[in-house]
Formats: sequence, structure tokens, C-alpha cells
Amino acid sequence: MKITQRLGRMASVALLVAAVLAVLGPFLWVILGSFKNERSINDPLAIFFTPTLDNWNAVINGGILQAAGRSLIVATISVSIALLVGGMGAYSIARYKAGGSTMRFGILSAQVLPPAVLVFPFLALAYTLRVNDTLVAVTAAHISLVLPVVTWFLIGFFEAVPKGIEEAAQVDGLGKFAAFRTVVLPQVAPGIGAAAVFGFTLSWNDLFYALILAPGNAQTLPVAIAGFNTFRGVQLGAMCAAILVSVVPVLIASYFIQRRLVRGISGGSLKY
Amino acid sequence: MSSITLEQVSKKYGKINVIQDLDLEFDDGKFTVLVGPSGCGKTTTLRMIAGLEVASGGKIKVGGKDVTHLEPKDRDIAMVFQNYALYGHLTVRRNIGFPLKARKISKSEIAIRVEFIAESLSLTSLLERTPGQLSGGQQQRVAIGRAIIRQPQAFLFDEPLSNLDAKLRLEMRTELLRLQRSLGVTSIFVTHDQEEAMTLSDKVVVMRDGKIAQQGSPTKVYTEPVDTFVAAFIGSPKMNLIAGSVSNGTFRSQIGTFMVDADGFPPGDVILGIRPEDVLLDAGTDGVVDLIELLGPRAIVRVVCGELAVTSVVERFSLANLKEGDHVSLKARSSSLHQFDPETLDRRKPS
Repeated sequence: MKITQRLGRMASVALLVAAVLAVLGPFLWVILGSFKNERSINDPLAIFFTPTLDNWNAVINGGILQAAGRSLIVATISVSIALLVGGMGAYSIARYKAGGSTMRFGILSAQVLPPAVLVFPFLALAYTLRVNDTLVAVTAAHISLVLPVVTWFLIGFFEAVPKGIEEAAQVDGLGKFAAFRTVVLPQVAPGIGAAAVFGFTLSWNDLFYALILAPGNAQTLPVAIAGFNTFRGVQLGAMCAAILVSVVPVLIASYFIQRRLVRGISGGSLKY
Repeated sequence: MSSITLEQVSKKYGKINVIQDLDLEFDDGKFTVLVGPSGCGKTTTLRMIAGLEVASGGKIKVGGKDVTHLEPKDRDIAMVFQNYALYGHLTVRRNIGFPLKARKISKSEIAIRVEFIAESLSLTSLLERTPGQLSGGQQQRVAIGRAIIRQPQAFLFDEPLSNLDAKLRLEMRTELLRLQRSLGVTSIFVTHDQEEAMTLSDKVVVMRDGKIAQQGSPTKVYTEPVDTFVAAFIGSPKMNLIAGSVSNGTFRSQIGTFMVDADGFPPGDVILGIRPEDVLLDAGTDGVVDLIELLGPRAIVRVVCGELAVTSVVERFSLANLKEGDHVSLKARSSSLHQFDPETLDRRKPS
């Protein structure tokens, strides 16, 4: 019995290690690849090599950081608008069944369509308004992408909040909006945090809309990373470094959103 | 402390008339219970008084002031909800103090009053916990504390005991009654449990289909129900209603023959109402004992007479060797019988 338990435990640990390697392996490869020269990078299993900072120089001097800054602006604005509008929309759908079940599932109807179908109206509009190849066009497209998802995501969280606590807050002395802000929002704070992270990632990682709407001076980070695929071949080392620039802010943003935003909404509403 | 008045209050959802021209007075300092079956409109009435539902017509007054179109926060009433409606992200201390914070009372004042309320409800040791860390009874006391801290003009209770287990329900019922008596605040309590209605109230209002079936003291409603609906709803086990006919002071039916007080009552078809405690059992052939439910000091005995069933409540010491399957005769205390018109189902009064 003891041996069987031991074997079982060893098998569990082995499976966990394999799973961790499968998830972290590519990430570790990217980290190592960002410090490899052209020769070393063609040997994917090389752990020992002479590190170089050439790739990082290419990233810093190649406009990657500026592209990251543009991605940050677009993602932040998109998520902020999506949370504000989508939060209120989700509340209306959850509490008042606004639009019925048609609305509830209809808000995701655009996600069913291939982006290639939706991008052309955006492109035409951008040219008409003379905002082509600007962050305005990309932000507008990303809002159309993030807002429905955030709204749909938050409906369930608002539905989980008992209507009774809003009513209790109203009887206790708050108006409807104050009751919403004081007792409902803190209850859905984890959901808002999760929706913010999800929406941020959606916008941050988008290549298609950004490539079509802002391929030039206003390119975002995914477009800039794709630019390492040149006619001379793929600059893998620099691309690895640029990918790390892409990944790390998302991790930081997730931490920030989860800790600060959620705590701020749930804990900051009543201090006495 | 104030009385609450409803004048011709109605409530419609689309074309459906849920409450119809309700006239009701809740006396100052008294405990009034709204009781009735599900869907009778008692909770809707309570919510209209609270301002959580907008009345479709009529007037609602609290302390003489017309509050019909005021928001809940401006009505100076407090409410205890069926599911307690505690704020899960706040500690017990902050839950209890919430109404004062909402009204911008000073921190020091809030602290003093919260400590006082917590002590009176035995919540002092739980002040730093969150609702999720409390038992049902503790949550209920926090909800009550949150209601009483503000010293409102009236308390509204929406079936606050229905989520508690039977034993705790009895304890909290006593607790609520003690609290109401000591505070002397006008209280309106909604329940579907007629036993709660009888034990808690100074006045019972029995509702049915959006209207008042009967209102009065518990004793009055119990001893003089106005129709068969109230007669069957109030009292547990419910009143036996038996169709038969009366002539010369004798009631005849499928279950047997009783003497009735016939002074002023017309002869002919009648529905006779007999409370189970007024049904007396003896050896005989009227019916067969179908079921005996022991309740400790009493037993509920169900006797089948042909197609009819009659319920009797018997003191334990009177049970003797009675068992299921025994043949019994039925008698009734003639002074405790109720007569109802078989057409209108209303209580018959002597002419």
C-alpha cells in the first residue's frame, strides 16, 4: 500500500513537472533566445552559450519600446472605456434584462464574424475621417473587440450579486447610484479585475486590426514584432527580445489590476 | 415612532392587478403581521411601504407624512430581508454601522452606537468577522442590528425567520418579540407561517389574492374567522370543514352527528368548522384511525370516515392505548363550532 502510494505520488509529481515544462518551456526558450547570437539560436536545445546583448540593442534602437508605449495607450483606453460602458451595460442586462436574451447573446455576434470581414469598414471609415495609420483607428477597432467581451463577461458577475443588498442599501439611506457604487461594485470587483486583464490582453495581443489600420508610423507592438520577419529571414534573437518586452508588461498589468484595482474597488468605498 | 396608513393602495404588473384598493392601518408601536399563502400580495405590500416597489395607485403615509413617491432612503423605515442582505465585503461592525455612515453620522458616534447594539445582540465578539464567517442565526442578528441602530419610525420584516432551522426560528421569534416590546417601534412582519403570525402579532392581517380577507387580534381571527379560507389558513392543524345539514340543533354529515348551538342559525345545508382540539375521540364506529403523529405533549390523530378525513389534536395523556387501525367515534364541543354558508363560504352569524 505504501509503495503504491509512493509510486502514485511520484507519477503525480512527474506529470506536474511535465506540465510546468510544457507551459514554461517556450517561455524559457524565448528568454534564452533573446541572449543568443545567430549561430546559437539555430540550436534550440543549447543552454550553454556565449550571451550577447545585440538582440536587446536591436529592440531598444528599433522602435520596439515606442511601439510598446503605443500598445499600452491603446489597451488602456480600450479597457477603460469597455469597463465603464460595458459595466453599466452588463448591469442593465443582469438586473433589468435589457434587450432580453437577444441582447445577452447578440452582443457577441460580432465575435462570430472573421476579423477580415469587420476590418474593411473600419479601414474605409478611418480613411474618410483621415485617421488612418493612427492610434485613433486602432483604439476604435479594439473597443469594438473588447467592449462586447467585457460586457458579456461581467453579466454573470452582476447576476451573482443578490438584488437584496442593493435594496438594503437603498433602505439604509443611499440613492440608487450610490447603492450601486457602494455595495454592488465591491461585490463584482474580482470580476472587473478579471475582465480588465482579459480585455487588456485582447487588445495588447491584437495583430490583425493593428496591422491593417496602422501599419506604418503608429504601429503597435505585435505589428513591430511581426516586422522582424524580414526578406532576409526571421531575426529570431531580436524577435525573442521583443516578445519579452510584450509579455512582461502584461504580467505587471495583471498584478497591478488584480491587487490594486480590485482592492481599490472593494476596500476603498467605505472607510470609517 | 409612527403609525403607517395605506389608503386605496393598488399595484399592477402590466394588466395583472396584484393588489387592489388596499386600506390598511398599522398602529403606532404595535406589531402587525401580514400573513397569507404565496402570491397573496403580502410581500408586495411590504415592499411598497418600503419604497422598493412603486404603488400604481393610492397613498402611503408614515407618521402622517405622504411617502408614496419618496425613495426608500427618505421614508425613515428600516427593513430586515428574508436573506438578510448583509454586505459581504464589509465586517459585522461596518454592516451594522452602514445606515449611520450613509447618513453621514460622525465616526465617533457610529462607533459608540455600534458597540451598544452589538452588546445588546450578543455580537461583540463577532464585530470583526465578515458575514460569510457567521452562522444563520448570527447573520440574522446582524441584520436586526443594522435595522435598529438608526432608530427608524418603523421596522419592516420580510419573512426573516424562514431561512432558519426550526429550533433557531423559535428562539429568534422570542428574541424579536422581546426586542419589539422593549423598543416599542411600529413593526410590520410578513410571513406565510400562521403560527408565527399568531405568536408575534398584536394584529393579524390575513391576505388573499391582493385583498384583506380578515384583520384583527390573533384571538379574534382564530375564534371568529370570517370565511372558510381564514378558518382553514389560521390554526395548525387546520380547521376541519365538513359539509352537512343542521336541523333542530343537530348536525348530520358523513362523519357522524353532532349537537350544535342552533340559536338564530337557519336550518339546512351548512359547512361546519371544528378545530382539531375540539374533536373528541371515543371508542365507536364513526371512523378508523389512519395516522397518529406524536408531537411530545400532544398528538395529531387523523381519522378517516368514508371519503372524509377529520383531524383531532389529543393530549398525550388522553391517548391511552389508541393506535392506528382502531375504530373511534367522533364528538365535538358544541360551544366551539363554526358555521359557514355553503354558497358564499362566509361565516354565518345568528340572525
